[in-house]
Amino acid sequence: MTASSGILTTGDPGHAVDEQNPTASLAHDSRGGISNPILGMLLFICSEVMFFSGLFAAYFSIRASSVQWPPIVASDPALTEHFNLHAEPWYAAGLTLILVISSFTCQMGVWAIRRDDRTGFIRAFGVTLVLGIVFLIGQVYDYSTIGFGISDTPFGTTFYTLTGFHGAHVFGGAVMLSVILYRGLAGQFSSKHHDAVEAASLYWHFVDVVWIALFSTLYIL
Amino acid sequence: MATTTLTPAASTYRSGLYEWVTTTDHKKIGILYIVNSFVFFFLAGMMALLVRTELAQPGLQILKDESVYNQLFTMHGSVMIFLFIIPMLAGFANYVVPLQIGAPDMAFPRINALSFWMLPLGGILLLLGFVTGGAAQAGWTSYSPLAQARPLGSVGHGEDLWIMGLVLIGTSSILGSINFLVTIFKMRAPGMTLFRMPILVWTVLVTSVLVLMATPVFTSALIMLFIDRNVGGGHFFDPQFGGNAILWQNVFWFYSHPAVYVMVLPAMGMISEILPVFSRKPLFGYRAFVFATAGIGALGFSVWAHHMFTTGSVYLPFFSLMTFLIAVPTGVKMFNWIFTLFRGKLTFSTPLLFALGFLTMFLIGGINGAFSAAVPVDFALHDTYWVVAHLHYVLFGGSVFGVMAGLYYWFPKMTGRMLSEGLGKIQFVLMFAGFNLTFFPMHQLGLAGMPRRIADYSASAGWNDLNLLATVGGFTIAASMLPLLWNIFISLRAGKIAGDDPWEANTLEWATSSPPPPYNFDHLPEIRSERPLFDLRHGRTGGH
Amino acid sequence: MSSAPGSRPSTTTIFGWLIAAVVGVALLALVALNGPAIWRSFFPPDAKSVEGQQIRNLYDIVFAIAVVIFVIVEGLIIWTVVRYRRKPGDDVLPPQTHGNNVAEIIWTLVPTAIVIFLFIISWQTLNSVEAVSAKPDLKVRAVAGQFQWSFQYLPADAQADTKPVFTITAPEGPDGGLFLPAGQTTHVFLQSPDVIHAFYVPHFLFKRDVVPGIVNQFDLEIPSDDAGQTYRGQCAELCGVGHRIMVFDVHALAPADFQAWYTKQVAAANATPAPAPSGAAAGPSIPLTAQNVKFDQSTLTAPTTGFTIHLDNKDAGIPHDVQILDGTGTRVTNDKAITGPAVTDYSIPALPAGSYKFECSIHPTLMFGTLTVQ
Repeated sequence: MTASSGILTTGDPGHAVDEQNPTASLAHDSRGGISNPILGMLLFICSEVMFFSGLFAAYFSIRASSVQWPPIVASDPALTEHFNLHAEPWYAAGLTLILVISSFTCQMGVWAIRRDDRTGFIRAFGVTLVLGIVFLIGQVYDYSTIGFGISDTPFGTTFYTLTGFHGAHVFGGAVMLSVILYRGLAGQFSSKHHDAVEAASLYWHFVDVVWIALFSTLYIL
Repeated sequence: MATTTLTPAASTYRSGLYEWVTTTDHKKIGILYIVNSFVFFFLAGMMALLVRTELAQPGLQILKDESVYNQLFTMHGSVMIFLFIIPMLAGFANYVVPLQIGAPDMAFPRINALSFWMLPLGGILLLLGFVTGGAAQAGWTSYSPLAQARPLGSVGHGEDLWIMGLVLIGTSSILGSINFLVTIFKMRAPGMTLFRMPILVWTVLVTSVLVLMATPVFTSALIMLFIDRNVGGGHFFDPQFGGNAILWQNVFWFYSHPAVYVMVLPAMGMISEILPVFSRKPLFGYRAFVFATAGIGALGFSVWAHHMFTTGSVYLPFFSLMTFLIAVPTGVKMFNWIFTLFRGKLTFSTPLLFALGFLTMFLIGGINGAFSAAVPVDFALHDTYWVVAHLHYVLFGGSVFGVMAGLYYWFPKMTGRMLSEGLGKIQFVLMFAGFNLTFFPMHQLGLAGMPRRIADYSASAGWNDLNLLATVGGFTIAASMLPLLWNIFISLRAGKIAGDDPWEANTLEWATSSPPPPYNFDHLPEIRSERPLFDLRHGRTGGH
Repeated sequence: MSSAPGSRPSTTTIFGWLIAAVVGVALLALVALNGPAIWRSFFPPDAKSVEGQQIRNLYDIVFAIAVVIFVIVEGLIIWTVVRYRRKPGDDVLPPQTHGNNVAEIIWTLVPTAIVIFLFIISWQTLNSVEAVSAKPDLKVRAVAGQFQWSFQYLPADAQADTKPVFTITAPEGPDGGLFLPAGQTTHVFLQSPDVIHAFYVPHFLFKRDVVPGIVNQFDLEIPSDDAGQTYRGQCAELCGVGHRIMVFDVHALAPADFQAWYTKQVAAANATPAPAPSGAAAGPSIPLTAQNVKFDQSTLTAPTTGFTIHLDNKDAGIPHDVQILDGTGTRVTNDKAITGPAVTDYSIPALPAGSYKFECSIHPTLMFGTLTVQ
């Protein structure tokens, strides 16, 4: 923080509200409402929704303009076989289930910290993180066995782009959860002060919803 | 004015490079944005001068390798848009918005610093192409398949660096917009209701929504192009491999059309701050102005395909109608500005001159836009120099004149010293004349059939005189930068001391010292209208 | 405030006004000397197609409305600025008008009415410009590849991908370009094998993108009075480093002349190609490789007795040729391009000793070199 003259006291303008400090009292109008980090996270999620909208729009546009979807590769029947994700959606369905459960455990963690139950919060977030990592490992395994690559027809390109960027977001979410968990273990959160927990859980739910959309689009629709 | 009792704030700033590199103060970050944008402005201006020099006469004179010519106009456009206009306006907003709403800083100061530092990094990535075997050369629109890694397309690192640079700059924009939105929604001083916010804050609000919704779509397009070029084999955008060339244009313009409003709305906001102050009247039709801004933002998402009228792949009547309709809120603003001046008492300081430059030139940019909204006329004008004229009347005649007005207006607040009025007026005259000399003839060139993005033209085409005129104008614009630089140099050293409120202005930034101390305010005047300082001086006269 | 009211204007201010005055006088002089030419430059060239004439009519209406709006609004700004200057020493506040709802409604509704009017007339013009005849007199496919146009003449019942009757490969000159019967309707298909181009003829006030993977099409009719004219066309969408050289000619022929021309072309296409002159007899064979749109040699040496260039085109899908230009830039050869990967032999007739330029006529900005004949 910048050093200040004698008139102004320093402090984090976002949080410390000090009667002696006129600047801090201007910091933001504390008439309640949504807190800054949570609003920031919601807006960030808006931008992420638009990012995935771009990818989905490209997917549907390419799918709509192709004669046959999934494409039939005359030169390589095995590839055509692998493209038929609809036939074997069970593995991906399992991954979906893992991510949906992790969303629930994440929310349980939020409820726990809201009632000041720190142990419950850490346990729930720990489980969420583990489930997230399991999902990521599961997806890497899926890639290694799925039988087609990113440059195999528009199908392969769109499949890997969509799932890959979702995977990157799960990874980002897992990093976020780790930070929250670390701070939680250091005792930084309480029922009064846990905006970061709420924000991280919002992000995790978002990642979950994107996966459900992806799963429905790629494996069912 | 004696609303502040602070000692001059300069002493509270720790001097030195370290302080500037590590700062999270929105004012310093704002100044960093502005300085950084000026650096890129000069670089991209040089590129434009090279392009204009080549076009001054028929025949290839200086850019014998035409791929260099293509690199230059590609980078001129990309740098001007992504590293000059957008960040320049973001810089002013960074400096002014927290002050105008009576906040001590942005909502997320560290993210603010991060947003800034991504810019020079992105800029370096973008320009690195010049030293790694050729920068991007598919135009700033980077249409696929030309932008694909294919022979006669965009082989080499330049295009990839362009993509990476823009992803970085886009992320910076997105983070910045989140920061602005949270700041505006959550950090307003008591009494600063939404409808008492200065118009600049409103325009930044709408701009941030546009950035938040549109930029990620562009990021996704860039990433798909990157995948196409490097690992995917062109399945997204290259029809040769089952991709769709028009898809790129749709996704690109879905961002890049709202981006036009990102580049113009904050400049409109700055003009709307300056005109009332120098005519000593409130802004005419404050609420209408707010609704018009929101209307432009909303309609801005439904007109992107007017860049694609000649592709044969868009539904023409819908996008034509929407494009015509977006002229209406813009017209409302124009009349509100004029009636702000009407019956006022105008003081012709440099900020007002540039603001009037904005009004007169942006008017032309708006009217010549209507030609292209009429689809059949666009069939004649699309991709000719007419379009170059149109976009420069909007982005130079509009945004750049707005930026200059803002610079002369807020420089005293940022530095505590006034810029010289005499040099300012010389700059204005040179820039105004040079601008019109450069870009007005381009209307006629376009009508005469000169396409964009050509390094040379036939001597018998009849385009010689107008091209020469445009080149002379280009160098006049460049010359107009000299008085500006000299002005900034001497004013920083020995300019007149500004005091808190040199312009008898209306908004809160003038209620604190110049430059303001860290966290901005000692105490705030009562906020009962959109002109709290005017109320303090003269009492209330109605309003909101 | 900057300069205190009533104070003497600084020398810099005077200097500024001086520059403004000089520029203003120069502009006035320019306008006075070239009045009619300047007025014409605000309009597109005279339309030479039926569709172009409709577009021109629309342009004239839009232009008239634009000028009226420009004069009114710009005049209002200038009048306001001149009329309401602050007098030195005047510290009285002007009336603090915050707005006027009636005015806001007027300047919302009037522009709305104007733009809706413009939309309706432009929609009408659009429908008539875009209309395609069910039975056009001629069907042509314009193919735009990097960086050359070619024109394929199609049978009457042709679809977008029908095989052409014959193809005109030279894009310009008296024997090259798009030949059309004046007074008759031509249906044009557009096709690109590589990147996006645009078919643009300024005199038709019309352009349409040539998008790979999509077949764009439109109807074109040149009025019968304009038979015998040639119009310049150009690619209007950036297509790479040779974008500016993608020019073509459009020749309007009287229907009878067109028939004669057409018959001749069909006959030429059906004739069995004459056996290529034997390269071996003409002199030494000089190898030249085209790869990644570059020749592997920048200098060639040949004897004055004639020789053969053995071109190996390694660029898949990209056509190349080798043409030789003399010191004045005039082409002395007329060889057919080959699309890679392929090889061919070009027999070059005996040339006088001297320095020549050789180039690929499709990529002259990228592929060229010096040929020394000695």
